[in-house]
Amino acid sequence: MSGTLDQGLWPWIALICFGFLPSEIWRFLGLFLARGLDERSPWLAWVRAVATALLAGVVGKLLLAPNGALAGLPLWGRLGPLAFGMIVYFAARRSVIAAVLAGEAAIIAAGYWAG
Amino acid sequence: MSEIIPDETSPNEASPNKAWGAAARRRWFFEAARQACAGPMPIVAVSLISVGGLARDAGFSIEIAVASTLLIWAGPAQVLFFGAVAAKTAWPVIALSISLSSVRFVPMVVSILPMIRTSRTRLPVLILAAHCVAVTVWAEGMRRLPGVPKEGRMAFFFGFSATCLAGTSLATAAGYALIGQLPGPLAAALLFMTPIYFVATLTRGARQWIDKLALVFGLALAPLTQMYAPAGFDLLALGLIGGTGAWLCARRLEARGRAA
Repeated sequence: MSGTLDQGLWPWIALICFGFLPSEIWRFLGLFLARGLDERSPWLAWVRAVATALLAGVVGKLLLAPNGALAGLPLWGRLGPLAFGMIVYFAARRSVIAAVLAGEAAIIAAGYWAG
Repeated sequence: MSEIIPDETSPNEASPNKAWGAAARRRWFFEAARQACAGPMPIVAVSLISVGGLARDAGFSIEIAVASTLLIWAGPAQVLFFGAVAAKTAWPVIALSISLSSVRFVPMVVSILPMIRTSRTRLPVLILAAHCVAVTVWAEGMRRLPGVPKEGRMAFFFGFSATCLAGTSLATAAGYALIGQLPGPLAAALLFMTPIYFVATLTRGARQWIDKLALVFGLALAPLTQMYAPAGFDLLALGLIGGTGAWLCARRLEARGRAA
């Protein structure tokens, strides 16, 4: 595979046509739909809620149907560190960095424990 | 409880009509860069280290790995792209699955652009701004932009985005060079960066009922849509159902609050 991919323009064409453009069309659509929308439009509250729910869904999917190294952990090993990170988040008076550090420490511990 | 109201009355700005020179914009650009360096940029950079390794596994050069960060600028889509190429998936299937994974950019671009543009913003600038929108920039932008005066927001947005893009590009290159040297638990820790960071930062940014409900509904619906929605469309269904549900519930709560 690498023999053909390393040559010439093909990797660039592949990246642009099958990676960049299929993703970028949605940003263009968003740009088009945002035309004339006021910052205080009531529609934006709904749009923001959809975006927030989608992002939370991405997170849920990453933990429930994980890829790569995360898939090597049992479900408790993925959800437990998330819960622990959020407990520390509130205990540390809403600190995102504290949540990330605590969650990371917990998942590394879970990895060694389960592995 | 005081809400930050996203308009010209923010405390940072005494006189909104004072000339907004290049110096003020530059100040907001670097202020944003500083804020990005203090947390969000290192986190998004670390979470994309693994993309470099995936690119190398798929047989691409380091230039393509870094270009994927600058052009696609969406972790899940990049993971999909290189993973699918490595698995020798058909190109149209790769394009379709990437497209489905990036639908989330529509509501993100629609909700952030009205906050940063002014009536004089030109189209090329808007196109570049839309390109910079990704989950980190969006989530942090929604939280931080209301505290920035309207005239400084575009500069702030680009300062923040450019810092995140630069740091993440370096991390992608580092991941390309390092791949295969991480033990399993550390590799899992890199992948876990995204979930813990987004749950924490979305919680931090959720000031109103609608934001909190959307966050909870989104997380709670994930196992359901994964089981019952057609493959590839589960996130779209989740966003629409969860977001609309949160919007309706928040309206009822507000109405009850007014009646009481």
